[in-house]
Amino acid sequence: MMEKRPVVEMRNIKKNFGGVQALRGVDLVLYKNEVLGLVGDNAAGKSTLMKVLSGAYIPDEGEIFIEGNRVELASPMHARQLGIEMVYQDLALADNLDVAANVFLGRELCRRKIGPLSILDKHAMEQETTRLLDRLKIDIPSVRANVEKLSGGQRQAIAIARATAFNTRVTIMDEPTAALSVAASRKVLDLVRELKAQGNSIIIISHRLEDIYQVSDRLIVLRQGRKVCECPVVGGLDEFREQVLAYIIGARDDFAGGGQEGS
Amino acid sequence: MLQQNIRDFGMYIALLVIVIVFAVATKGVFISPRNISNLINQTGYIAVLAVGMTLVIIIRHIDLSVGFLAGFLGAMAAIALVFWKLPVFVVIPLILGFGILAGLLNGFLVAQMRIPAFVATLAGWLGYRGALQLATVKTGTIIIPNEAFNAIGNGFIPDIPLPGILPGVHKATLLIGFIILAAYVSGAIRDRQKTRAYDFKVPPLNIFVTRLVCTAAVIFLLTWILAGYRGLSWTAVVILIIFLLYHFITTQTVLGRHIYAVGGNPEAAQLSGISVKKITYVVFASMGMLSALSGMLFASRLRSATTQAGTLFELDAIAAAFVGGVSASGGVGKVSGSIIGALVMASLTNGMNLLGVDISYQYIVRAAVLASAVIFDVATRNRTV
Repeated sequence: MMEKRPVVEMRNIKKNFGGVQALRGVDLVLYKNEVLGLVGDNAAGKSTLMKVLSGAYIPDEGEIFIEGNRVELASPMHARQLGIEMVYQDLALADNLDVAANVFLGRELCRRKIGPLSILDKHAMEQETTRLLDRLKIDIPSVRANVEKLSGGQRQAIAIARATAFNTRVTIMDEPTAALSVAASRKVLDLVRELKAQGNSIIIISHRLEDIYQVSDRLIVLRQGRKVCECPVVGGLDEFREQVLAYIIGARDDFAGGGQEGS
Repeated sequence: MLQQNIRDFGMYIALLVIVIVFAVATKGVFISPRNISNLINQTGYIAVLAVGMTLVIIIRHIDLSVGFLAGFLGAMAAIALVFWKLPVFVVIPLILGFGILAGLLNGFLVAQMRIPAFVATLAGWLGYRGALQLATVKTGTIIIPNEAFNAIGNGFIPDIPLPGILPGVHKATLLIGFIILAAYVSGAIRDRQKTRAYDFKVPPLNIFVTRLVCTAAVIFLLTWILAGYRGLSWTAVVILIIFLLYHFITTQTVLGRHIYAVGGNPEAAQLSGISVKKITYVVFASMGMLSALSGMLFASRLRSATTQAGTLFELDAIAAAFVGGVSASGGVGKVSGSIIGALVMASLTNGMNLLGVDISYQYIVRAAVLASAVIFDVATRNRTV
C-alpha cells in the first residue's frame, strides 16, 4: 500500500546512562503522513528515544532507517540534514530577533557574498515567511515583530512552522502544549492537524492524553524504557484515557509486540 | 509610535539636552567649531572600543582587557616606529594584527576553555598592564616623532585646492558631508518605498519626515561647523569607517544576524547550526583589533606612548555601550547607539572641563548618567507594547 510507507524505522534501540537503562530495545515505526503520539511517565524514555532520533544521543545498540536507508545519526545537524526536525519544549527561538529571522535562523537566504561576508536577502526571507505562515494559517501581527512581543501560542506556532519549513521528513514535537493556555493549546493542535492535512509526518510527545487523542492516528506507550503499548487511536476519549493510563502506570502489561530484552 | 521608539530616541534626546545645557552654560564655547572638532577627536579612541564592546556585550560576554591592551599596543606601535624604524604603513597593519591575536587568545579562553569572560579578560587586564610597563620600563614615555602617524590623532583631511570658491570653508569636508547627507536621505526614502512595496507597515509620514529632517539637520550642521574650522579630522574619518563597516556587518550580513542570535538565545543558535564558538572567536578578535586601533589613536593623539596609556578605557567603553542602549542581558544593542553613547560620555567630560568642574564631581555626574541609562534600559524593556 502506498500510504503505509514508513518514513522512519527505529529497531531495537538501546541506550544506557551509566548503570541506568533508559531504553531497553525499543522499536518505532512512523508512516508517511501520520501523526504518532508518544506517551509515558517521567523517565519512561520518550525524550531519550526522540533525542536518539534527532541525533542528540548516539544509541548503544539498534538501527535507524530513514525512508528505507540505514543511517548513523552523528549529530543534531546531521539529523537535520536528513530531514528530521525537533521542536524543543523550551522554545528554541531567539527572542531579540523578528519572526522572519527566527524562521530562517541558521539557513539565511543571501543576495551575494563580499569576501567572507554574506549579505542577507531580508525581503525574500520576509516574503517566504509570510507565505509559510499564511499556508499554515498562523496568525501573527507582522513577520517583522520581535518574537518576545508575541504570545506563547504564537511563539510555539512559529517554532513549529520553522521546523516544518525546509523539506522536512519528520517533525518531532516535545510537549508542544505544555506551557500554553487552553485556547493557545487548541490553536497549536489545529496547526498539527493542518500540517498533517498538508502531508507532514509528525511524532508528538505529550503528557496531555486529550491532546494526543485529538490529533494522533496512532499511539505508542513507553514504560521504563520499553514499549508497552502500540495501538491506533480509536473509540471514545474516556475509554482511551483509561486504557492508556493503565499502560502508563503499569497496571496493564499485556503487550507482546516488542520490547523484549535481547540478552 | 514615540513610545515604541523611546528606546532608540532616548540617548539622542539625552545628547541634545547635554549639548544645549553646556552650550548655554559655557556661553557658546562648547559648540564652537574648535571645541566640536576637539570633542570628536577626544571621543575617537573610546568610540572604537565601544563599537567592539557592543558586540561583546551582545553575545553576553565582557572584555576588561581592552584598556591596557590598547595602551600596550600603542606602546608597541611607538616602539615599532621609533626603535624598529618601520614605516607607518607597515606598523598600522602589524599592530592591528597583534590586536587580532590578543583577541583570539581571549576568544580561546572564553569559547574553548569555557572560562567566564569576566575572569579571562581580568587576567588580560593584569597581563597587558604588566606588558605595558615592561615595554616602557627602559625609556619611560616614548616620544613619537613620526608626523604621518601623529596625523591620525591630530591631523585633518586635505582640502580640494579651488582658489576663489568659498574661501575659509573646507570644501572637501563639505563635499563629504553632502555625499553622506544625500546617501542617508535617499537610502531612507528607498527603504520606505521598498517596505511599502512589500506590503509591510511603515511609520506614519509625519514621523518619518520629522526623523529624516532632524537627522539631516544634524549631519548638515556638523558638516558646516567642521568645514568652517579645519575640516574633517582623520580621527573622525576613522570613526566613520568603523561605524559604516560595523553597521553594515551587524544589520546586513549573516554574521551579524548570527551574533544577535547567539546573544538572544545561545542554545537556540547552536541548535540552528550556528557555531557559538566561532561567533565568540570572531567577536573577541574584532574587539582585539579595535583595541589596537584605539591604542594607536591615543598614542597618535598624544604623539607619544605613555606608561599609563589605556587606564580605565575599558570601563569608559563599557559605560558608552550601556549609555548607547546596549542591554546588559545580551542580544540587544546597536553600533550607532554605542558611538552616540561614547559621544555623550565625552561631551560630559569635555563640557565639565570647560566649566572647571572638580574632577570628583565629574565622576559622580558620569556615574549618575550611566546609572540612569541602565535604569532606563530596564524600565523600557519590561514594558510589553
